[in-house]
Amino acid sequence: MSQRITRAQVPLEELTIVPGSACQGCGAALASRLTFKALGPNVIRHGIPCCPDAVTKHPRAGAVFEGGGASLTGTARGLKAIGRTDVKAVGFFGDGGVYDIGFQGLSAAAERNENILVICKDNEAYMNTGNQRSSGTPKYAETSTNPIGPKSRGKETQKKNVPMIFAAHYVPYIATASVAFPEDLIAKVKYARDIEGFRMVIIQSPCPVGWNFDSAKTIEVARTGVQSGIWPLYEIEHGTSFKLNYKPKELKPVVEYLKPQRRFRHMTEAEVNEIQTYVTERWQKLIKADEVHQVVI
Amino acid sequence: MSYEVMVGNKACATGVKLARVKVASAFPITPQTTITEYLSDMYAAGEFDFDFVNVEGELTSQVVVQAATAVGARSFTCTSGPGLLYMHHPMQETASKRLPLVMAVVHRGVKGMQPDHSDLMSQQWQGWIHLYVENAQEILDTCVMAYKIAEDKRIRLPVAFGYDGYVLSYTAEPVEIPAQEEVDKFLPPYKPMPSILPDEADPATFGRGFGDADPQKPWQVHHEAALTAEPVIKEVFAEWAKKFGRSYGNGMIDPYRIDDAEAVLTAMGTIAGSAMSAVDKLRADGKKVGLVKIRSFLPFPRNDFREIAKRIGAFGIIDRSCQPGMGGPTWHQMRSTLYGQPGPQILGFYAGLGGKEVRVDDIIKIGEKTLKAAKGQKVEPLVEWV
Repeated sequence: MSQRITRAQVPLEELTIVPGSACQGCGAALASRLTFKALGPNVIRHGIPCCPDAVTKHPRAGAVFEGGGASLTGTARGLKAIGRTDVKAVGFFGDGGVYDIGFQGLSAAAERNENILVICKDNEAYMNTGNQRSSGTPKYAETSTNPIGPKSRGKETQKKNVPMIFAAHYVPYIATASVAFPEDLIAKVKYARDIEGFRMVIIQSPCPVGWNFDSAKTIEVARTGVQSGIWPLYEIEHGTSFKLNYKPKELKPVVEYLKPQRRFRHMTEAEVNEIQTYVTERWQKLIKADEVHQVVI
Repeated sequence: MSYEVMVGNKACATGVKLARVKVASAFPITPQTTITEYLSDMYAAGEFDFDFVNVEGELTSQVVVQAATAVGARSFTCTSGPGLLYMHHPMQETASKRLPLVMAVVHRGVKGMQPDHSDLMSQQWQGWIHLYVENAQEILDTCVMAYKIAEDKRIRLPVAFGYDGYVLSYTAEPVEIPAQEEVDKFLPPYKPMPSILPDEADPATFGRGFGDADPQKPWQVHHEAALTAEPVIKEVFAEWAKKFGRSYGNGMIDPYRIDDAEAVLTAMGTIAGSAMSAVDKLRADGKKVGLVKIRSFLPFPRNDFREIAKRIGAFGIIDRSCQPGMGGPTWHQMRSTLYGQPGPQILGFYAGLGGKEVRVDDIIKIGEKTLKAAKGQKVEPLVEWV
């Protein structure tokens, strides 16, 4: 598991080129900044269509939308063939490329335990094309393909549990992270960088435009997400060992997370309570898992 | 140098080994599957040290070898029919990134299991070099030569070479295997250009370009590179002929008894073999019919056909695929090639689609009709289904 670091240990060198193509308050741009600080320079960055496309000082291997896992695989195998395993094959993909269109290829790469690192900046919808739902979109969120009306209450189903799905491939390392917890994020990315085999770090990255909140509040939204148990921070090794990285004595009510985001503004009290029950039940399982250091689903 | 009786797919795997491929990735599909099995056997037996990536589909196999080529590892993939269609999306990117990948396409029609050329023909816009091959020896030789063509600095484009499934993939023929050290002298190790490694002074970015001053430019450059492939293909085949004593025409086309021909047939792949027998029989009857086996479909051998067109009366074009609503791709290419210059009639014949058997007698009839047109007699229809 990753080792805690202090703010003083955060690398100073910036490898992400600003401003890039990001909007004001973009959580994913911050995820890129922190991730590549942690990774350092000896990286081939892999990109697929996503929002925003990170621009860094590293060489970039672009691939087709559905080809994230395979392009990382090819780079890693090619590097091995030419004797350059010191160079890390790293993907910086969105939830569309990880949860949906690229899911099959990534699952196959995980099953083969390819020596690759996948960073997923999860902004919970297809933001590149204008906020259409993905399987990373949470229940009741309004998107441009789940507009609110007499026949629609937003997204119909819960968010796909991608960290646990990839953990079930029994790969060396899976972690969740948040842009509101930069030391935790950097520690996890650094730890993942130096492991052999398939690693994935999924970073919740609020999108002020798609989630429809004040762009000055990105960190607050992300922090409340973690504090309310909506986006728990944890690590899983080899599909079994489990560690919960952030355990408040008491969870904040989910309404504090939902309220500032206009994508949830239509939710009734009953719907909020439904989400609260869902989150609380999942949280209790995570607490139990942390106690026994084993995954509990 | 040694000899072995082997099937087409083993000849292909042997070519991959001789080319010292470092990374291969493929997904099994009939009739391509046994290439991957032969390669795996060679690896297991310790005869061939390479990295085989067992992917979960053709699309990802293309992406894997694309990325491995970008890093600097010579790579190979292979597929058939529907598998090639599934690869369509990343194939464009392999060519746009100018990565010298080589792929074997073991022809299987897209409307069924049996062979025709509809699989590779459906990929004409992807920006690859397309070669068509007739027998097992030619598979092995072309596999090695394809790397030399693809990696040539003047073009740097991926090469797909196609050969008919079943009739070639599973048919055993005697094949001469060149010595590894001779092949090594012919094909130097692959050096990527430019490099993507982070320690290079100016590492490359592969993928979409942003902010190009002229957004049309990438297409223009790509097209010009594909046209430049013609002299490169001819050079590489000439060098192979000199070193190994086997030639396939000039690399672009392989003519048979055309010097005094009045009518010339064109065919690709295994049909060319039957067409040679048909030409011999026509000649025995005193009918001056010749054959051109088209080896390179992309780029199309325009210069060669313009020369041949000056001295004959008619072309009989055999197409083993059809673009519905458009017609036979070779027939179209030939008419486009000869447009605007006085020249022969161009007859079209669809034959062998969906794996339909093409007999020597069928080709004799094609030859007789074409000869009739060459002599200035009226023939109907201009294009027919054999």
